[in-house]
Amino acid sequence: MKNCHRLIAAGLALAFTAGAASVAQAQDFPDKSVDYVIPFGPGGESDISARLQQPYFKEKYGQDMVISYKPGGGGAVGWSQLNSSDGDGYTVMGINLPHIVIQPATKDVGYTTDDVTGIYWFHYTPDAIVVPADSDFQSLQDLIDYAKENPGKVTMSGSGKGTANHLASIRFDEMADIKTTYVPFKGTGAAVTALLGNQVLAEWGYTTVGAQQGDKVRMLAVAMDERHPAFPDVPTFKELGFDLVGGAYRGIAVPKDTPEELRQKWSDIVGSINADEKFKKQMLDGGFALIDVPYDEVPAFMEKRKAEYLKAAKSAGIVK
Amino acid sequence: MQIDARSTESRDVGGVVAAFALVVIGAIALYDTAGYADIDSAVFPRTVAIALILSSLGYIVYAFLRRPPAEERNPGTTPRRVALVAVMLLSVAAMPWIGFIASGIIAFLCLILVAMHDPWTRQRAILYPIVGIAIVLGFFALFRYGLLVPLPKGRLF
Amino acid sequence: MLGEHLAQALTPLNVLLALGGVAAGTIIGSIPGLTATMAVAVLVPLTFTMDPASALILLGAIYTGAIYGGAYSAILLNTPGTPSAIGTTFDGYPMAKRGDGDLAVTIACLGSVVGGLVGAFFLLTLSPPLSEVALAFGPVEYFWLAIFGLSLIAALSEGALAKGLMGASLGLLLSCVGVAEISADVRLTFGSQTMIGGIEVVSALIGLYCIPVLIDLVATPDRHLKVEAEQRGFRLSEAVPIVWREKINVVRSSIIGTVVGILPGAGGSVAGLVAYAEARRAARQGQKYGSGEPGGVIATESANNATVGGGLIPTLVLGIPGTPPDAIILGALLVQGVRTGPQLFESQGSIVYTFIYGLFLATLLMLPVGLLIGRYAYKTVVTLPKALLVPSVAFMTIIGSYAIRNSVSDVIIMISLGAVGWVLARVGIAASPIVLGIILGPIAEQGFVQAWTIGSAIGDLPGMFFGRPISIAIILFTLVSLFLPVIQARMRARRMPNAD
Repeated sequence: MKNCHRLIAAGLALAFTAGAASVAQAQDFPDKSVDYVIPFGPGGESDISARLQQPYFKEKYGQDMVISYKPGGGGAVGWSQLNSSDGDGYTVMGINLPHIVIQPATKDVGYTTDDVTGIYWFHYTPDAIVVPADSDFQSLQDLIDYAKENPGKVTMSGSGKGTANHLASIRFDEMADIKTTYVPFKGTGAAVTALLGNQVLAEWGYTTVGAQQGDKVRMLAVAMDERHPAFPDVPTFKELGFDLVGGAYRGIAVPKDTPEELRQKWSDIVGSINADEKFKKQMLDGGFALIDVPYDEVPAFMEKRKAEYLKAAKSAGIVK
Repeated sequence: MQIDARSTESRDVGGVVAAFALVVIGAIALYDTAGYADIDSAVFPRTVAIALILSSLGYIVYAFLRRPPAEERNPGTTPRRVALVAVMLLSVAAMPWIGFIASGIIAFLCLILVAMHDPWTRQRAILYPIVGIAIVLGFFALFRYGLLVPLPKGRLF
Repeated sequence: MLGEHLAQALTPLNVLLALGGVAAGTIIGSIPGLTATMAVAVLVPLTFTMDPASALILLGAIYTGAIYGGAYSAILLNTPGTPSAIGTTFDGYPMAKRGDGDLAVTIACLGSVVGGLVGAFFLLTLSPPLSEVALAFGPVEYFWLAIFGLSLIAALSEGALAKGLMGASLGLLLSCVGVAEISADVRLTFGSQTMIGGIEVVSALIGLYCIPVLIDLVATPDRHLKVEAEQRGFRLSEAVPIVWREKINVVRSSIIGTVVGILPGAGGSVAGLVAYAEARRAARQGQKYGSGEPGGVIATESANNATVGGGLIPTLVLGIPGTPPDAIILGALLVQGVRTGPQLFESQGSIVYTFIYGLFLATLLMLPVGLLIGRYAYKTVVTLPKALLVPSVAFMTIIGSYAIRNSVSDVIIMISLGAVGWVLARVGIAASPIVLGIILGPIAEQGFVQAWTIGSAIGDLPGMFFGRPISIAIILFTLVSLFLPVIQARMRARRMPNAD
């Protein structure tokens, strides 16, 4: 009995401290380590970019950022469980576009796009057409000309279907009025391997591929507003007359019962890491393109992307 | 006559039942593939489901034509087997409510009972539960703090 | 030059890291569910503060230790601790059942060390040319490789081919469950959220192999493994001659392991299975693979440890990870600011060569460390009373299958598959064909869909599937391994017409 009382007392004490904490939490947040859940396996691009953020969080906020993985279903397993985690600000999850738009639109995956409380979109890997260094395609026009003469014969590898690569392929084919064959691979790594092995003629990849593979590949165009600082010689699609800007966007989200002040706090945290000069350089060298979409701008950003992705997905026949 | 009676008995009833079940599974899978938007996702499961159905049907025919060698009987008590699976499933189901440690310890203690074939002595009655609790706590510490695995927390406490 | 890098690899800190890494890796790998990938991933943040070469040595040591550690539970509990050790169960567990578990563990250690050294040797000497292998393998080659792997079920299900095919088809079907990897559909989940992530390979392995063992363990009062009364030490005096007799097997398996390790789409599990299939095909008369033949353990273990060196070849030369743990090592390198690629060997040779010598060192250290830990693992499993062994192993299967993806669904799937697997095994449908299906399914499907897409685009489907040299070679190998045993048996029967 005595033990029982003690237990209740301890429980009440705990409840009080928890209540008190929630009032003051935004000021001295974070006061312990935070969990950063990546809904993919280790070693992927989402993991690597989280790993790059990790030391800056520790440096600026003095607490550890513990990365854990919840892979499965192309991210769907993690995102469908996001809202059942504690909304105390100490759990955040990586989110990706176009995944969180396309997945719920195609089938019941246990979450909807609006279930995901996005806090900040911090970078994207811009779409790019990549060819091997010894390819005959010297410019984007070469590829378009060849595709016009040989409809469907230009094989292009890419990561998965319903992905940034796939949607870019569909949108570009429409814009250039050509027909290419998109070959889906499991992840960017496999798509690059197929390109380097000459299994396909070109790849729908990202600027990060250009950064990693160096002079073994050539990028014909990148889907950015302006040229990527790391590749000043590679034209943008816009320069060449195609209004194609985008790629795979990454950001963070929190469980839906996370209080407003903590959401704002996280938005500030990610923004401050993104603003760090050393971090910026690291990301640009890696081929990433930094963007800043803080918490209050997320809804507008999402609306625009949603419309764009769903249109492309419809013409691809992935979404009915 | 005696030989006939034995031969019907020694037909692979279990195998045939399993084969029928697999035919049903194959058929359900075939039905599921009809709903895919992308033909690329349907090709492989469809082929495999057909292979499953054909090999299972083939086996059913084979089993009626030929007698398999008499199978060895598996000794042992069924209740303990069922109890093992039941305890494991229940402890996993309980995890989101009572948390990882509590459900782990309870499952461990129950499984000691399920697996206990030796007579209980006082020493064993004291030692085994202690060892069990130590193992659960040890692994919890290793996974939670050593390997940084976010183990399930209980909703109740 | 070489002496300088060797000296850098042998600093006290690096030796200590290699030793600690191997020991930690071995222990982690021996726990079902804790894979080499996870062991490496957990340690990555620790390495950020180290210099790149030391960080790599630690990660490489953990990786190689974990691949070996998977053999313990494969031999002693019939449960591959990592997917790489699937083939180890085929003969290792029967050895343990008849009381030779300690011998099997020692043989596995010797095989792993030799395999690891061979893989590291190729990494050191032939990296740039060998990395081309990764590129020569296109989708259609992966498809045929998977078919070759599936041909192993003919051998694994002796006398009951139909049941083997049923099991394999079921496994292939299970591999489709969840969100499709390269297309955009959700398959065979029937609306269930538990299934949306698909069937995780490692938890399926744990369920199909380990749960049936537990189910039968609790049913009878018999001991788990046969125990010999006298102390026998490591049984090195028996193990070394056995491995020496299998020297061709060791070399062949190590080379297979290196080459399969180079292939980004394959990995240690496929390497072990291919090496096992080849060892079995080349079996001498009187060798009974599948019922406790040491050659089976040697083949799998030398092959899977050779994938460590092999997998690092495309990782370092092409920036394309050869195996899943390599993907994490590559990520760690990027964070460290080390750029991979052909120029890496010249521009940052000191890091690379120091790392490779460190890998040699770690592999050599695996011999004493592995033997010691192996003996301890054997003793624990053999002497632990059943009433403690069963709950401990059951608890490990739960926490292990949870930890792979931090998912309760995986645990539920693991236990359910185990119960179904036990029932199926009772009616003669063994676990191994199902597991083969689950592992090879995605490789076969992706290879097929991609090859079909490309073949249709270039308008030459027959040429795509049957016209490429490597494909033809794999197809021939498959045919040989399927029909050679039959032909050999016929010829033997003809030669000895009077034999019964």
